[in-house]
Amino acid sequence: MKIRTFAYFVKEAVKSMFRNGLMTLASIGAVAAALLVLGCFIIITLNINYIVSDIESQVEITAYLNDSLENDQINDIGREIIQIKGVKEVVFVSKAQALEEFKERLKEHKNILIGLEEDNPLPDSYRIKALTPEDVGFVAEKVSSIKGVAEVKYAKEVADKLFTITRWIRIIALGFMAIFTLVAVFIISNTIKITVFARRKEINIMKYIGATDWFIRWPFFIEGMLMGFIGASIAISILMGGYYYLLKVLYTHIRIIKLLPIKYFYDYAGYMALAGAIIGSLGSTISIRKFLKV
Amino acid sequence: MIRAYNVSKVYENGVVALKNVSFKIDKGDFVFVVGPSGAGKTTLIKLIFKEEEPTEGYLVVAGRNLSRLRRRDVPFYRRKIGVVFQDFRLLPQKTVFENVAFAMEVVEASKKEIHRKVPLVLELVGLLDRQKAFPSELSGGEKQRVALARAIVNNPEIIIADEPTGNLDPDTAWDIIDLLKEINLRGTTVVVATHASQIVNTMKQRVIALRKGLVVKDQERGGYRIEN
Repeated sequence: MKIRTFAYFVKEAVKSMFRNGLMTLASIGAVAAALLVLGCFIIITLNINYIVSDIESQVEITAYLNDSLENDQINDIGREIIQIKGVKEVVFVSKAQALEEFKERLKEHKNILIGLEEDNPLPDSYRIKALTPEDVGFVAEKVSSIKGVAEVKYAKEVADKLFTITRWIRIIALGFMAIFTLVAVFIISNTIKITVFARRKEINIMKYIGATDWFIRWPFFIEGMLMGFIGASIAISILMGGYYYLLKVLYTHIRIIKLLPIKYFYDYAGYMALAGAIIGSLGSTISIRKFLKV
Repeated sequence: MIRAYNVSKVYENGVVALKNVSFKIDKGDFVFVVGPSGAGKTTLIKLIFKEEEPTEGYLVVAGRNLSRLRRRDVPFYRRKIGVVFQDFRLLPQKTVFENVAFAMEVVEASKKEIHRKVPLVLELVGLLDRQKAFPSELSGGEKQRVALARAIVNNPEIIIADEPTGNLDPDTAWDIIDLLKEINLRGTTVVVATHASQIVNTMKQRVIALRKGLVVKDQERGGYRIEN
């Protein structure tokens, strides 16, 4: 294609956007609205994922060690544990620390523990966090087979239950995302179909003058792409602005809930702009097909 | 230039538009195709333009057998034919100049060429002073002259006009016919489908008369009336 011809297509596309102002606004609005909903779902889903995996990782495995171990041996065990696949974090808890924690938990009844400092019956232990709840069972098994580990304990049921719940949350969120993507494509291709329909006379004339199909298609393709991109940009701005505000409010008022930082979504914003452009150009190409058969 | 060999056209709904039509139009001819509504004039034009395919028979236009023309070659074939419609079919959002330039943009002419050629054809149709006007600001006759300018700007071998005077008052109609004749005198083959009997009778050109899909008359220097 000649550069001059391409420049002509871009010029025609931009001109047409201004001339069909209302339809252009409708198309851009449809893209923006659809991607806005989609974007909300992405943000919600990713944050649920984030929160859930945060909870998940709190499922702890405790490995109690034999009483008679030397410091070197204890360190060796720690090193061995960290090398197990699926282990996220290992913390050593000494006998003394364990007793302190126990006291704290008992609070006003802690007096009953007085005197145990001299002859602490609590064992040294390692507290292990797994990367995902699925790993917990496997890690526990591996740890229990290490020499010098007396006993391994973890909340098996809690881990299993969490695993089931989070899996369902992910499936449902993905399902919604798929549905909304389809809805977005449908709205956009329909809106562009109206644009194309409004210009069917023009297409008809072009066919009579002897324009090739691609010559007719390109300006619509570029127009669709531009409208999709603009729509996506609007959606991205609203989402980013809204999310930024939400984070600010949450951070100042409710500090318990920890959401994903805004920079985490930069990549997604890029994908969304790209998706808008693709949806727009695809929509217009699909819509114009019917009118080319003259 | 245009040859029809035993062409028949039956539409999918069973309407028989053309029955075993044969004729020959030579290069440089000026031909009226006449007949009442539904006689098959528009179908014939659609066949020449390869907008429709004949059910039987075939056409050879500008040296091409249209039945063997590949789909992707159709646009390039159409560039050899200029077309004018009763309803003008101008783009309302483009100026007179842009409407004519549009036809050249479609065939990827250079800007320089466009700016050289468009004023020339606008001058020929007498609309040079109205080149910045939009179609809505033009009279019917002016609109048709823009359409004519658009049809001839790419130097087609054939001009086909479908009821070009159908929406015009008699005086304006004559202006258009005179223009068509002038274009014809420059060497372009012109085919005019019409039922403007007065024009046909006065012009004394070749007449192909259609009725109910049949060629009922093909006469050099003919009149509108169908003797049968």
